Amino acid sequence: MTLFFQNKTNRIWCLAVAGLLIFNVWNIVSNTPMVPDQHWAQKIFYVHVPSAWVGFLSYLVVMIAGIMFFIKGDDKWDDVGLAAAEIGTLFMALVLITGPIWATPIWGKPWIWEPRLTTTLILFLIYIGYFMMRSFGGHIERIRRYAAAVGIIAFVDVPIIFVSVQFWVPEIQSHPQVEMAQQPSGILIPFLLSLGIFTILYILMMRYRIHVIRIKNMGVENV
Amino acid sequence: MFLVLLKKELYNEFRSRELILSMLVFGLSIILAYAFTSDVSRVIVANYAPGMFWAMILFVTVLGIHRSFSYEKEMDAFSMLIAAPIDRGLIYLSKWISGFIFLTVMELIVTIPFFKFLLIDFPPNPLMALGTALFINLAIMAVASLVSGVAMRARLSEVLLPVLMFPLVSPVIIAATKISGGIMAGDHYQLWQIWLLIIGSIIVIFGLVGYTLFDFITEE
Amino acid sequence: MLSVSHLSKSFNRRPVLANITFEIAAGETVVFMGKNGAGKSTLLRILARIMACDKGEVRFQNQDLLKGAPTARKGLLYLGHASGMYSALSAVENLSLALRLRGMHTSKEMIIEALTHYGLFDQKDDPIAIYSQGMLQRLKLTYAELAEWTLLLMDEPFSGLDDDGAKLMHDAILQWKSEAQSLCLVLHDEAKGKLYGDRILRIENGEIQES
Repeated sequence: MTLFFQNKTNRIWCLAVAGLLIFNVWNIVSNTPMVPDQHWAQKIFYVHVPSAWVGFLSYLVVMIAGIMFFIKGDDKWDDVGLAAAEIGTLFMALVLITGPIWATPIWGKPWIWEPRLTTTLILFLIYIGYFMMRSFGGHIERIRRYAAAVGIIAFVDVPIIFVSVQFWVPEIQSHPQVEMAQQPSGILIPFLLSLGIFTILYILMMRYRIHVIRIKNMGVENV
Repeated sequence: MFLVLLKKELYNEFRSRELILSMLVFGLSIILAYAFTSDVSRVIVANYAPGMFWAMILFVTVLGIHRSFSYEKEMDAFSMLIAAPIDRGLIYLSKWISGFIFLTVMELIVTIPFFKFLLIDFPPNPLMALGTALFINLAIMAVASLVSGVAMRARLSEVLLPVLMFPLVSPVIIAATKISGGIMAGDHYQLWQIWLLIIGSIIVIFGLVGYTLFDFITEE
Repeated sequence: MLSVSHLSKSFNRRPVLANITFEIAAGETVVFMGKNGAGKSTLLRILARIMACDKGEVRFQNQDLLKGAPTARKGLLYLGHASGMYSALSAVENLSLALRLRGMHTSKEMIIEALTHYGLFDQKDDPIAIYSQGMLQRLKLTYAELAEWTLLLMDEPFSGLDDDGAKLMHDAILQWKSEAQSLCLVLHDEAKGKLYGDRILRIENGEIQES
């Protein structure tokens, strides 16, 4: 198996995504309107929300890969699931870092039990358990099955967690994201652009990670 | 066939008396810790009582469900169970329902010291408290049995079980605390009925997912 | 009766069984031999549906064993290394439970009678946690005697048995053979393999060598 970047198309892809990311930063910094009360703090919205989107998308991919793994019994779905779990957790971590950065100037405190943020935190914790289970090792065939099951259970739990946290603290309804939707369209288009660029970045990361996991597994095979 | 499996769980417990007893003793020591750490005075403890109660139940559940799955491993009895010509989803159901029974028995006993030691008044409507508690136990065990089905045969299962289970079970804990809080405060049913809906949906969703997944996760 | 075709299984992508194909006819006794770690036990566990395989097809009594309903494995009885029973329960309770799970309602008298035959009468009501390895082996033998099956998968039937126990096992195997029951045994003793097996299949490098 060749290395990922020995393939010419992959190199072009990587350069293109890097270019898009730089463009995205420039676009956010200079082409988006300042929101009156929030000033620069609001700019993190263009990173925070797309990260959350990619994170949840990735966890959805873990669930789908888990279901496919059970139906097909093919190890390649385990590779997909593991890659998606890793990348999803990375982006969830990003959400949990950017959230408080945004919240501090707006709400005056870094953490509020806002449903979206709380759901992210709970999912993040479940996935910490997921990686603990993977890294503890043991009977690898079993662990693959259990990991797929955890991926499915975690995502199935998401709507329940979200709804219950929402009813738990009904006071916290004004997520800035909701307010953003009512702002002039100067915000919407750069936001959608950022969302698209993050999604493309996600696809590239997934392809790279799956490739690396396969190479690792080949190493195991040849021991 | 489900009844055979359930009877096996109950028989095992009846013979060894490990599960309920260890849950009970652990529950009592948690109450003791609560008493020492919360400066028992009527007002303060009563406000937090529902949360403290369900947190205790959560810890105790981990202990019980861990035991329930570890005696399957002792002489590799689990192999006999999954090789038997039965639907493996039933194994999940039997673990769930037996766990529910053990938890309820333990809860009924531990409630008295919980209220008496921490100087909390009994809820104004004990029957309603009991009914909702049964419902909540069913939900906690639906999640716990599924998670232990996943974690039990992995390495360091005693670490994995709580780490995986606590975040997953968080909606149940939120709902349980709200329901019990409402009952303790004598609130009208309509103020907390939404939480029963959440508990109900957890029972249905985890029941179905557990029943389906068990066929896949029991095989190695 | 049992036909296995192109079965393969790998652990962590290292192949243990590769392309295993064989058949067991009704009334035949097949003995598997091979080095430690050759995959004999793995093969038995796959046939018992305790372990999943990567590829392959297994048909048992004209039913798909791997994809079919749980009832497809009703005629199979698997006895592994461990006793596969509950340490807190007594021999009678364990047997009664195991038989019930196979859909059989065996009376307590019959169970006790069988236990007596295999020398476990005195300990029949003790929790099996206190049983020695040989006693557990006898318990398994009692289970095989009581259960209805058309194919018995047995992993190292003689391990841990004393001379009397070995004699009981020997008699039981010959009895089953004379009743034209099908057996599939994993043995490591060449002489025993030749004695019981109508055929000896050797697993080497994940493949079957017939001899």
